[in-house]
Amino acid sequence: MSGPIINDTPTKTTEKKITIDPITRLEGHGKIEIFLNDQGNVANAYLQVPELRGFERFCIGRHVQELPVLTNRLCGVCPAAHHIASTKALDAVFNAEPTETAKKLRELFYMGQYTHSHIAHFYALAAPDFVLGPSAPANKKNVLGVVDAVGVEIGAEVIKHRSYGQKVQEIVGGRATHPCFGLPGGVSKQISEEERAQMEEMAKSCVEFAKFTVKLLHDVVLANQDYMDLILNQDAYYLETYYMGMVDKNNKTNFYDGDIRVVDQTGKEVEKFKPSEYLDVISEHVEPWTYMKMPFLKKVGWKGFTTGPSSGIYRVGPLGRINVCEGYTTPLAQAEYAALAKTVKDLGVTGPVHHTLAFHWARVIELQYATERMLELASDKSITSDDIRGVVNEPTEGVGICEAPRGTLIHHYASDKDGLCTKINMIVATTNNYAAINTSVNQAAKALIKNWEVSPGLLNKVEMAFRCYDPCNSCGTHALNGSPALEVNVRRADGSKLETLKNF
Amino acid sequence: MTDNDVTRGKKILVVGVGNPILSDDGVGIHIARRLKEIGIPGVDIEELPASGLELLDMVLGYDHVVIIDAIVTNGGTPGDVYNLEEGDFERTVHGASPHGVNIATALALGRRLVGDRMPSSTRFIAVEAADIVNVSENMTPAVAASAQSVVDELAAELTRD
Repeated sequence: MSGPIINDTPTKTTEKKITIDPITRLEGHGKIEIFLNDQGNVANAYLQVPELRGFERFCIGRHVQELPVLTNRLCGVCPAAHHIASTKALDAVFNAEPTETAKKLRELFYMGQYTHSHIAHFYALAAPDFVLGPSAPANKKNVLGVVDAVGVEIGAEVIKHRSYGQKVQEIVGGRATHPCFGLPGGVSKQISEEERAQMEEMAKSCVEFAKFTVKLLHDVVLANQDYMDLILNQDAYYLETYYMGMVDKNNKTNFYDGDIRVVDQTGKEVEKFKPSEYLDVISEHVEPWTYMKMPFLKKVGWKGFTTGPSSGIYRVGPLGRINVCEGYTTPLAQAEYAALAKTVKDLGVTGPVHHTLAFHWARVIELQYATERMLELASDKSITSDDIRGVVNEPTEGVGICEAPRGTLIHHYASDKDGLCTKINMIVATTNNYAAINTSVNQAAKALIKNWEVSPGLLNKVEMAFRCYDPCNSCGTHALNGSPALEVNVRRADGSKLETLKNF
Repeated sequence: MTDNDVTRGKKILVVGVGNPILSDDGVGIHIARRLKEIGIPGVDIEELPASGLELLDMVLGYDHVVIIDAIVTNGGTPGDVYNLEEGDFERTVHGASPHGVNIATALALGRRLVGDRMPSSTRFIAVEAADIVNVSENMTPAVAASAQSVVDELAAELTRD
């Protein structure tokens, strides 16, 4: 296999605004707008993302028990996360403590989701940048090109283990993509010993595949000095922000349940809160040029797209979680976490890892954890118990939080006495990251585009600052030709379009 | 697909793709549900919310696959129905979204990795959408009318001797 193509030759542009635009539809798509100043350097860059309209109105007046299957329709990519957060919100609304069996089944299901989601991101979206190179030709830089480079056997393993993750969700959750098993205080479906044994075998295989993936990351990315230079480029991919993520009582990462921990730029804990307290911690800022709100830490305040201790911008997702946790409860993930910690310490980093592209390493560590946790739960013979429903009380109001693969996901519902929804508020993972993604895009654009010089490779490196967050704008993007892509517009200071680069 | 593939025992799958609570985005799902209500012997009918790698999981083991989805084209008229082939999607390149592997890429990947289990034919029926941003279980009138036409034509075709 030939080496990755990391750099290409920029050409001079005469335009002052560059747009990176995902899809061909007129609305409902995200795009990056880059404005150049009179010197041909980046004055500013924005990421605009779509928002579905009318979801709140759609939910009000429906029975709250419908919400786990309605909210998971918000997204074709992370329905399982919505289903879990929604089901946990119902636990709170109905003051219904789930049984131990139900908790284990929900978490097992959710580890299937993580396995599937993190494999798909790493191999289909990150690997083109890291195996083929950021400047590889656009028509080669996809998962097919990755298969050409790494071999058909590895490609088949990717597909197999991704579908194992789906299969576990299907067995436990009733359906692979739009699960329907979550009920307040429990789950609707008991599993058989045969199903448990089948999941245990699949989980064993997934643990091995995650080990392979960790090794691949080391061999292909971390051992390549050009990539390390890119990852450690503090001008383009480095933000000193706050971080947020869920932890267990020992501050170990947990995706399903726990308190939400926030650390500052030095790694010091500044908040630890229960789901019901989220409004004490998070406020939302509105910008005129985008539908999506920008959450920030209430006590710190909104200071614009800037970082440091005085800016309330925080990051969630794999990088957020790895920076708020003090390790993992499973041995292989813990070992790889220690390897990351040693690597960054040797580089002189103290406290959190602020390097944006480290998202990818964190994601691979989480893949290892998810598979190990999946195996632990699938090996537990008590999960076939019929004790799957707890006691349900009168409905009131409640909040459910879980860690979606892309970050902290919050569902908040209120109900009348008949169980009809009177209020719904959701803060989704990508929304939590939105201010940080914008700041990252702006930073990368300013560092990489100078003196009127642009190229597909340079623009792709701007996209890399955004792609590593695994941002999910797919809620509105299912149409046949609407495979979400990205368009970059470069504009002059007066707003006129200088150059457009699309990947569709 | 030839007229008598059903009677010859070929495995046929119809997949409706989209979001049934996102106005016209759900046209593929609505069509699939109506075909399921009608019930066509020898034809499996499924729903799918996303059209990338998930589609690959679903089509394996079938001989013929028909995929129905919404589409938005430049200057298209809502309700227009297009019969498309795989090659028509080669220009939709994956992009920024999390798992943005498009249909052509997913099918090409399948042929590369598990070619022996891939369908011998895949065709697409796409309906031009008017509204894909407002949350609603209802389609806009032009798209709803076209959906019924697609149901009628497809049901007739698939049940033909």
